[in-house]
Amino acid sequence: MDMVDERTILLVLPILVLQIALMIFALVDLIRNPNPNGPKWMWAAIIVLVNIIGPILYFVIGRRNY
Amino acid sequence: MKQFSTLLLKEWRENLRNYKVFWIPVVFILLGVTEPLSNYYLPQILDATGGLPDGAVIELPDPEPEQLLVAVMGQFQLIGMLVLVLAYMGSIAGERRNGTATLLYVRPLSYVSYFLSKWLMASIVALISVWAGFLAGYYYTAVLFSAVPFGEFVAFAATYSLWMVLVVTLILFASAAMPNAGLAAGLTLAALLILQLVDSLFGSRWEWSPLKLPNYAASFLDIGPDATALTWTLAVSLVCLIGLAALGIWFSKRNRAKTKV
Repeated sequence: MDMVDERTILLVLPILVLQIALMIFALVDLIRNPNPNGPKWMWAAIIVLVNIIGPILYFVIGRRNY
Repeated sequence: MKQFSTLLLKEWRENLRNYKVFWIPVVFILLGVTEPLSNYYLPQILDATGGLPDGAVIELPDPEPEQLLVAVMGQFQLIGMLVLVLAYMGSIAGERRNGTATLLYVRPLSYVSYFLSKWLMASIVALISVWAGFLAGYYYTAVLFSAVPFGEFVAFAATYSLWMVLVVTLILFASAAMPNAGLAAGLTLAALLILQLVDSLFGSRWEWSPLKLPNYAASFLDIGPDATALTWTLAVSLVCLIGLAALGIWFSKRNRAKTKV
């Protein structure tokens, strides 16, 4: 079963790039955030381990922007 | 006017520094790309997840490209709107809580500029997100299936944009009217859900409702909406938009009187 051909990689590559970009935005913000809503290591784990939803959760809940 | 541009600059810096300008469009693009892609790989996904007896052959009809774009819009209506509500629920309520508002209230502040600067910045971010997401979806649909006529696509996305701006106005109004960000989000989501429910239950009785904007947007990809119904809906939507903005300005002004230092 060779589902992962070159075409698939080319098609999925943009998603991977965006996902990693989202992760980097969230991590940079977390490192520079003096007072996140919860322990930093926990948010770092969530951002890195949970695809897409993790960074969004951090920006919405963990950032304390209100 | 000077005050407005200063406030707008403040909003722009804030949105830049909390990365909203980046991460909200990225979420919308991901939503737009995922829909055509998961449809394209549906046979393989079904294959890999199993659950079908050996030798079972399922013929999946190729989805129409129009359907895929409407499905992308469905994602925006659910997840996209939730993201926008959660991102902007605190834009006025949060400033009152963290003290930025007190700094502004002691100055001779035009509340029209104050509210509109926030509204314009949030709308710009929402529009960038919607267009980026739709264009990504359009591109992937065109590559994997077939292209929707570009004119129809633009009319579709433009009509949906007005709906998004209306939603942003509602969020900012709620943020001005409610004492904290959580209640603002609650009010916005409750209002949207209830109104959408009412419109889907009894909506056949009327044609002019801002809640029908997404439906009219989708019908641009099909046979095109009824011109008079669309014109009146656009007019009613604009009136709602201006009304909500005016109420939001009034509430932001009233917030000043309620501040305790």
